[in-house]
Amino acid sequence: MAKRPSLFLWNRAQALAEPLPPLHLRAERVAAALSPGRHGRRRSGPGDDFWQFRPYQPGEPVQSMDWRQSAKSDGLFLREKEWAASQTVWLWADSSPSMIWRSRPDLPEKLEQARLLALALAALLLRGGERVGALGLDRTSSALPRLQEDLEAAPAALPALLPPQSEAVLISDFLFPLDALKARLTAAPVRGHLLHLLDPAEEALPYQGRLRLAGLEGEGEMLLPRAEDYREAYAARLAEHRAALGRIAAQAGWSLTSASTIQPPETVLAALFPKLEGRC
Amino acid sequence: MLSFAAPWLLLTAAALPLLWWLLRILPPAPRRQDFPALRLLLGLTASAPSPARSPLWLVLLRLTLAAALIAAAAHPLWNAAPPLAEGPLLLVVDDGWAAAHSWPQTRDELLRLLDQAERKGRPTRLLTTAVKPELRNGGARAWAETLEPKPWPSDRATAAHLLEGSPAAQVVWLSDGMEDGGSQTLLDGLRKLGPVRVLAPPTSPLLLAPPRPELAELTPVLRRSSNLPSRTLVVRAADAMGRTLARQEVRFEDGDDQKDAPLSMPAELRNRVARIEIEGENSAAATVLLDARWQRHPVGLAEAAPATSPLLDDLYYIERALPQAELRRGKLGDLLQRPLSLLVLPDGAAPPEDAALRRWIEQGGLLLRLAGPKLAAKPDGLLPVALRNGGRSLGGAMSWTQPQSLGPMPDSGPFAGLIVPPDLKVKSQLLAEPSLGLADKTWARLEDGTPLVTAQRLGKGWLVLLHTTVWPSWSDLGLSGLFPQMLDRLLALSQGLGGGSKDEHPLPPWRLMDGFGHLSQQTGLAEPLPVGPIPPPGPGHPPGLYGTPESSRAVNLAPQLEVPEPMSLPAETLGQKQVPEHDLQPPLLLLALALFLMDMAALWGLKRAGMALALGLALALAILLPPTAGQAAAPLLETRLAWVKTGDPAIDGLSRQGLTSLSALVGRRSNAQLAAPTGVDVERDDLAFYPLLYWPVPDKPFPLSALAQERVNDYLRHGGMILFDSRDGGQGPSDSLRLLTQGLEIPPLTPLPPDHVLTRSFYLLKDCPGRLAGGAVYVQQGGEAGHDDVSPVIIGGHDWAGAWAQDSSGAYRYPAVPGGETQREMALRFGVNLVIYALTGSYKADQLHLPAILERLKP
Repeated sequence: MAKRPSLFLWNRAQALAEPLPPLHLRAERVAAALSPGRHGRRRSGPGDDFWQFRPYQPGEPVQSMDWRQSAKSDGLFLREKEWAASQTVWLWADSSPSMIWRSRPDLPEKLEQARLLALALAALLLRGGERVGALGLDRTSSALPRLQEDLEAAPAALPALLPPQSEAVLISDFLFPLDALKARLTAAPVRGHLLHLLDPAEEALPYQGRLRLAGLEGEGEMLLPRAEDYREAYAARLAEHRAALGRIAAQAGWSLTSASTIQPPETVLAALFPKLEGRC
Repeated sequence: MLSFAAPWLLLTAAALPLLWWLLRILPPAPRRQDFPALRLLLGLTASAPSPARSPLWLVLLRLTLAAALIAAAAHPLWNAAPPLAEGPLLLVVDDGWAAAHSWPQTRDELLRLLDQAERKGRPTRLLTTAVKPELRNGGARAWAETLEPKPWPSDRATAAHLLEGSPAAQVVWLSDGMEDGGSQTLLDGLRKLGPVRVLAPPTSPLLLAPPRPELAELTPVLRRSSNLPSRTLVVRAADAMGRTLARQEVRFEDGDDQKDAPLSMPAELRNRVARIEIEGENSAAATVLLDARWQRHPVGLAEAAPATSPLLDDLYYIERALPQAELRRGKLGDLLQRPLSLLVLPDGAAPPEDAALRRWIEQGGLLLRLAGPKLAAKPDGLLPVALRNGGRSLGGAMSWTQPQSLGPMPDSGPFAGLIVPPDLKVKSQLLAEPSLGLADKTWARLEDGTPLVTAQRLGKGWLVLLHTTVWPSWSDLGLSGLFPQMLDRLLALSQGLGGGSKDEHPLPPWRLMDGFGHLSQQTGLAEPLPVGPIPPPGPGHPPGLYGTPESSRAVNLAPQLEVPEPMSLPAETLGQKQVPEHDLQPPLLLLALALFLMDMAALWGLKRAGMALALGLALALAILLPPTAGQAAAPLLETRLAWVKTGDPAIDGLSRQGLTSLSALVGRRSNAQLAAPTGVDVERDDLAFYPLLYWPVPDKPFPLSALAQERVNDYLRHGGMILFDSRDGGQGPSDSLRLLTQGLEIPPLTPLPPDHVLTRSFYLLKDCPGRLAGGAVYVQQGGEAGHDDVSPVIIGGHDWAGAWAQDSSGAYRYPAVPGGETQREMALRFGVNLVIYALTGSYKADQLHLPAILERLKP
């Protein structure tokens, strides 16, 4: 049931991201990147914001002297700017078999929706001057088509170690044992965001009658004599799962957003935006 | 009426409610569905377990399927014939003369019973009851197909004897319904063997007794049993070739048992009548053969030296006086070769001392001698009375007397009662010597008592002398109206008889009648007819014609039979309208198959019942239809000729070869491309596809069934064309053809006119020969505007298939007689003309060939 991702996914992503303003991350730990960005590094370096005045040492360029301050006091001072660097955001769209599924032909597959959302986010971030890369690969890119290729080429499994001093956005259905996730999140000093993407059928179990359900990742099969009877119990389990996911995220300081493939991606983006901006 | 061949299987239908319960209880097969979040479901139990139920429509589908299978296994039959029990079967068939009129129904019923018995595997024996009954144990079916009614009565008592010692069996007796004295014996014998079922035809047979030969009009007598309802019949007289000479309708009222059928026909035709039968009866007892005994008296006129003028010739006046008799002129010797009843010897003809002549008279002939000058001069010995020399002339120039008229006719002679015209004068006569017996020998005298006509009995015959001439030199007798009357009386006196060929030895069988009244050359076990009284009818002495072709003696069946009375046994009526039996098993099995396919389709997950239904039906139809559709399409696609299957493989093979080579020929010589011809069975096949049907008349035709007649009439009405070929030289429509075409709407026919379209539709032909030539070809008289004046029927007897037929190497099979290869070429041209006529109608009747015709007409 895997569908080859559209070659022009990034086009759609760009279209999605257009109406939204550029996204500036609330970066707490910013990697020591040299690329100019908006995040202050609390040290002097290239940037736009005023950092400090310090006395001029002979040998430094004369243009950097701040004459106003030098006139106010004795000595020669130069103005130092804060080192503003960009933040690196690593995106990950879970491409395990359970993501390559949709319950109805009119819905997108979860993986496709995940990649679309990731690329839309990337477009916003790039506009905001951050750097974006696919998690698992060691490079960032500033071109969306390249990013799409990177997303597709990235290894499917969650890497054991998240790169430090950056942010990560993980988009998945998280239908795997959560211990692995917990271990990774707590291990690395990385701030990140989780997007829990589910198919509406996985949320509601809308089936009727006699069903034999088969898992996609080798979980086996299960016979439901009457599917309607299992809805309540399943809903309870799903709620539990979400709650567990929430706890892990809270413990690690990450945010969690739930979404469904039936929701239009603009809505999901709009829900993610403030989380990344750090306002909520 | 629905019935079941294996009804006990219906008891399994009691299991249907159980099946219903099971189907409702058993859950349907689960659907497969991929679900990534299965992890979350594992280990859960249902909150409120309740049984999964199959949808109602699926349950009903499966129940109907099961019901259809059970019903099909029980083998239902619609309008099944009453089933025979198990065990051996004995079929008794009456095949005497009385069975002939209803033989087709009897035969159908017999074959049907044999088929049923064969299907059930019951051993069958067959017993026939005509004289020399036969009982057959094996091969009953093959024998039954060849059974025919025999032209002699049945002998049921002997048949009952044959049954002694037979094992028990169920008995079905296909009787002819008539009592022959042994019915009760046979019935008792049959009842000892098992249950007896008697079938009898709805009508009773008719007898036709031959007419009395001496009457002027042929009047056969119809006889039947008494106390029967009214009925109208037609009696038909035909000549030796089968041409109808007279038809007479006869109506029996309720309770009548005898009726005369006077056949009025011109006297010239009376002598040609060879056969009288009741139309439609097809029985030997309803057929009468006539031989020379019924012929009106032939009169021989011996020729003397030819007269200078016909008015001076005696025989001229005699011919004028006997217009309706069969007159033969010739030399005395030739005349005596054939049977004669009256021989006229004019003056001076032939030596009277002919021993053959004397013998002929002694055997019953009547010799009429006419007087004249030669006899007056030299009287000879063959005279009834002695003559005085010289005659007497009355009223001549030298005589005192006046010409005399005749006196009243004596009552003792054959002329008694004739009125003498007063103005008849006799001028001259021969005088007889007076003798003792003269008065007894005188049959007519003049006024003064002298004899004018004397006669003497010689053996069985008469020697008669007319003492005057017929031509008016001596008397007015030949001119008067009395003379024909006298001659008629003389004719009536002379009984028809054979000339010199009255045999005293046994006559060999020449043409014998079968049970249907048809003559055939097969003699079988027949023995020569002994001299004396005719022996009772049997296999040794069947009715028919005995003797030689020139003089045959007819032996008829009806005079030897008594009028039959119906059997007084309870009998079912044979030949009730047979309702065809429908086997319902195949349709039910088909329904079960369709339902099964629908069930399979439902199983594959098609939720909607409608789709499953449609799929199942489509599959079922797809399996059934293609073979039948393909069959019907083939004849429609190409034009082809057809021949009617007669059942005789030799004739059918000849028809096939003839039409095949004709189709090829037409394709070569004209634009019409025909495909290979096919044989059709008029009872079964659809005739509408063929522009021309070639119908060879078999030797022993059966009349067509009502269904086949309807088909053929429909075909003719809608523009079909049939060529009937009686293959016998074409001297006229024969009995076989008449039998075959009973019930068909053949229009009035006329011999092929020389300017008919058929003679010029492709080639210009003068006649239409086939393998034989010389006969007549008949087409429709006039024409029907609705059918473009095309004749729907062409009848002939030239055996055209015999001329057209080629064998596998391309050589023609039969020579054309008598014209050889030229005649064959004409026959092929006729064939092309026929096909073009059938395909194009009469448009060739226009002026197309007119210039060529005019060219040919030029001297």
